[in-house]
Amino acid sequence: MGFWKEMKKGLWDEIPVFRVVLGMCPTLAITTSVENGIGMGIAATFVLLCSNITVSALRNFIPDKVRIPCFIVIAATFTTIIDLTMNAYAHEVHRNLGIFIPLIVVNCIILGRAEAFASRHPVRLSIADALGMGLGFTFAICLVGLIRELAGNGSLTIWSATGWQWRFPSSYTPTLLMVLAPGGFITLGCLLAIMNRIEWRRSQRTPGHAYQPRELDCRHCVICKPQSQSST
Amino acid sequence: MKEIFKLIGVLTLISAAAGLLLAFTNNRTFAHIAQARNAESLRALAEVLPAFDNQPNETVFTVEENGQHWTFFVARQKGAFAGAAVESSSLKGYGGLIKIMIGINPDNSLRHFKILEQQETPGLGSKIVDATFHSHFENRPFVPETWRLKKDGGEIEAITGATISSRAVTEAIRIAAEVYSRHADEIRRTGLPTTP
Repeated sequence: MGFWKEMKKGLWDEIPVFRVVLGMCPTLAITTSVENGIGMGIAATFVLLCSNITVSALRNFIPDKVRIPCFIVIAATFTTIIDLTMNAYAHEVHRNLGIFIPLIVVNCIILGRAEAFASRHPVRLSIADALGMGLGFTFAICLVGLIRELAGNGSLTIWSATGWQWRFPSSYTPTLLMVLAPGGFITLGCLLAIMNRIEWRRSQRTPGHAYQPRELDCRHCVICKPQSQSST
Repeated sequence: MKEIFKLIGVLTLISAAAGLLLAFTNNRTFAHIAQARNAESLRALAEVLPAFDNQPNETVFTVEENGQHWTFFVARQKGAFAGAAVESSSLKGYGGLIKIMIGINPDNSLRHFKILEQQETPGLGSKIVDATFHSHFENRPFVPETWRLKKDGGEIEAITGATISSRAVTEAIRIAAEVYSRHADEIRRTGLPTTP
């Protein structure tokens, strides 16, 4: 039972990009097409899954004082593995994503889940958590990518190596702004507003369901929380 | 004191395990990455060169000029010179570096070129990869003075709203064409069986 519960929370209640507002850097930077979103999502999910399993399996072995360096080394190892593997087998996607694959190491989602979840829970639940969070992240950046690619480029590409691409009729003039940096912020802002609205509607219907608007700040980042609690 | 050794030990163990895992992955993917890179450059060569039956990425002529290293890939068909390709670049793009692979016809005109790397503004400068822009260059004979934007007194039509990107590409091609013109004879001889 616990497995599905942990997995489901990453898909809605704590979906990384929209609810916990983590992993903003790749979300804004690489979501100019759905294909990039899928590539980045798969890479991040792989790293998250492997790092969660390892951290969880070693949670009684890693001393508290050096846990952060250990988590980083673990995340960095798996990031490099997926970096090399993608370079070898998905060369085009790897080139599009560029620096953002190595940057998965410092993605807050990876470290956040290692610290807040995997280091306190058994391997089985950590797998569920990683899958949920990873899929949630993939879904979120694909959604942003879908909106931006459709509006800004007038096309839809799932996997360019297969040559399959869907295009709006040529009478459609793409809104360039959407594939430029501002488009990322605009899309993300609108999606966050929609998420807040849905959550607000939900809290109206179910008594006892606390409504907490989410904003782009660090209050919801889990990394500092255990520290600040212990210091007070 | 005892604790510090434990910390050192744990960190060392984890790092060593990470190192092993990475060495293993590198070992497995190394050949594949080299192969993918090689295939990529061959694909780019095949795109800009006319038909050939040799290995242009092994038949090369290198020359040092303008403080830059130029590598000409020579294509041959049944022994005859079929064309050459050269990589050129410009740092004057709107988003920095632009890398181009240029294909040259045997009659000293430009065949095709392909943008290998660019970070130009999507939708504006990124149009340098489009066929419309390339058509201004294709089959144009090497007369370096005409290889400038119309604004700069040449004959090349710039992309609307992307003069800087267009200029960078034009300049990169012009410089490569100049180097080629100076060494055309040597390049044409490259790859010929050495006569005793």
